[in-house]
Amino acid sequence: MSKEMKANNTKKRLHNVHLLKPGEYYLQGSQACIEGAIMAGCRVYGGYPITPASEIMEYASRRLPQVGGRFIQMEDEIASASLLIGASWGGAKALTATSSPGFSLMQEAISIAIMSETPMVIIDVQRPGPGQGYITASQEDVMQARWGHHGEGSIIALAPSSVQEMFDMTIEAFNLSEQWRTPVLVMAEEPVAHMRERLLIPPWNEIEIIDRKKPQDLGIMPENYLPWGHDIVAPMANWGEGYSVNFVGLVHLEDGNITKYGPQMHYDCVERLFRKIEGNVNEIARIETKFLEGCKNLVICYGCVARTAIEAVIEARKEGGLDVGYLRLITLWPFPQEKLRDIVGNVNTIFVPEMNLGMMKHPITEALRDRFKKIVSIPSLGVLHSPEYILSKIYEEIR
Amino acid sequence: MNKLWIDERYCKGCLICVDVCPTKSIKPSKEINDWGYILPTEDDMNSCKACGLCELMCPDFAIAIEEVDE
Amino acid sequence: MKKHPMLKYLKEEGPLGQRMPLILCPGCGSGQILNYTLHAVDRVMNKDKIRKENFLFISGVGCSARLTSHYLNFDSAWTIHGRTLAIATGSLLANPAFKIIVFTGDGDTGSIGGNHFIHACRRNIDVTILCINNGVYGMTGGQVAPTTSVGTITTTTPYGNIEEAFDLCKLAEIAGASYVARWTTAHPHQVIKSITKGLRKKGTAFIEILSQCPVHNKLSPVTMLKKLKENTIQISKEKESGEGKSLIGEFCDLDKHEWNESYQKLIDQFDHEEGKS
Repeated sequence: MSKEMKANNTKKRLHNVHLLKPGEYYLQGSQACIEGAIMAGCRVYGGYPITPASEIMEYASRRLPQVGGRFIQMEDEIASASLLIGASWGGAKALTATSSPGFSLMQEAISIAIMSETPMVIIDVQRPGPGQGYITASQEDVMQARWGHHGEGSIIALAPSSVQEMFDMTIEAFNLSEQWRTPVLVMAEEPVAHMRERLLIPPWNEIEIIDRKKPQDLGIMPENYLPWGHDIVAPMANWGEGYSVNFVGLVHLEDGNITKYGPQMHYDCVERLFRKIEGNVNEIARIETKFLEGCKNLVICYGCVARTAIEAVIEARKEGGLDVGYLRLITLWPFPQEKLRDIVGNVNTIFVPEMNLGMMKHPITEALRDRFKKIVSIPSLGVLHSPEYILSKIYEEIR
Repeated sequence: MNKLWIDERYCKGCLICVDVCPTKSIKPSKEINDWGYILPTEDDMNSCKACGLCELMCPDFAIAIEEVDE
Repeated sequence: MKKHPMLKYLKEEGPLGQRMPLILCPGCGSGQILNYTLHAVDRVMNKDKIRKENFLFISGVGCSARLTSHYLNFDSAWTIHGRTLAIATGSLLANPAFKIIVFTGDGDTGSIGGNHFIHACRRNIDVTILCINNGVYGMTGGQVAPTTSVGTITTTTPYGNIEEAFDLCKLAEIAGASYVARWTTAHPHQVIKSITKGLRKKGTAFIEILSQCPVHNKLSPVTMLKKLKENTIQISKEKESGEGKSLIGEFCDLDKHEWNESYQKLIDQFDHEEGKS
């Protein structure tokens, strides 16, 4: 790589004095996710304002030049998502944040990012829909996250539930995107983006940062390099590194050849994208459980609903004397079906409180189909469930 | 006399080279390639000045002029 | 066998098989434009000593876009319809040293990509945009384009086009591009000179190249090249006999601040040396 190209590459995070030093801070979720991003090495942000995600972009516009990164407000969300593709292949870690209507606009770019195996992170601060909907709390995009992009393939989506998790999970999102060469979604909600809480930043050497595998590091020369080969997750040569790599979005052979089409080539190309994520779900997906051992009923939740659901579960156990367990999906997609089946025994009723009319209820039903007698949705549209509301629905059903 | 090289694998018989040659040194041949396209061929290469216009205007990178000093 | 001098910049074969010949129709103007572009890139690489890995070719969708699909022996991208300039902006944010050439067509620039085109010119980002204008949507079968002239019969205007055509060069100039020019595939030396100028220009260089689509116009490539010469007139000669002809030439050539240059000033106000606060 020429000296000029090297000099312009994004600076290594440890040589930057403008990162937050280890300690306690009081930040908004919107700010915490940007601090996590720049800690993970993100140096490119492109976005478009949309309530309730605009604060993320405003904070990014201030922080990015401080850490030697570049920020741009693009003309729309489609441009923002497309920008991430260019930035990622140009060698940078890139981020955008949007809300539900903008997320719909980004689906084509996400689709080509899946096909071309482009690492990038998109934060979706969900708001109710359909249409303009409203600007408050919602979890109505959780299905769009998995199925919104056209075509096959799979994707990773995380659901933070606190300001600390906005920081930690944005770092995790970048790590997963680099490790698996895939776009990763952080499915936040308006309450978690707008709340202010204590954020603890650990010593920098305790934060794991993963960077994409490179063919140079594996001794693969440009003439032998297969941009989508060598391994289930291909090493990624970026533009400007002398590998003359051709980015394509059409079905392709491992070397990027798009002319030799055939049904087997098509299947091999696309099925591998699906298997890369879904076949490694046990390594990628995380869940959190409490009071699970031998419980007779179960509350399964995710995102900031988990904050109020756990209060309801504790109260139901203490005051109501009910044997209720708690399970939180930290990773929404790939859906941890096997993990759930491994740890959830037979229960009477499963409660799924969601800020939608029942979306994650479906993969949960499919996963635990023979483990429960009844599954009950606890929907709430536009407003976060209170602990009392969830508790009342639990009592209504099983007391 | 300069030599004309036609790459049969890439030529699509558009015959732009025949038209732009200022010295009329190229003509359509009676041959077709595997794709079914009419290939160009040398006509009167004595007048060819190796101006390179045929190389410049070929859409398929299928032609080359070799300058031969005599 | 002597090979075409520009073949060294193409991948005739990859590790998994043959890639050439170009998928384009016989006599397609896009192939010629690739030829001219490679001549210009060759010139800039050798004269200005710019390394091969600094060059990046990006395209969207359409006949113009097939040029970067898998033929180039450079870093390249065949991306989504109309979003090439947003992707180019992203690459420049990651690494301002890239020399980016964007191949677009009438739809990619003037229709679906219109918004991104306007803003790229407004921001004056450092790209060279080559708009291959053949007056029709070739790849999808010959539908009307924003650059199709009034009265033309196409597959979606079977009774004749009732809409006026876009003047993309005027749009680029007003939006703020540094260098704007229009030529045709029948003017190879002018095209090469303009692309060379565009590559050397810091800022947005928009070069519209009127091109022939022999298949959808049902005319031979040679006839269409003659028509392109006949139906265009240089800006300086417009007053003499410019009636009904397209203007070709350089419309503007300015030195303006480029986006990354301006943003670098923001970054430089913060100290990034370790140990300093």
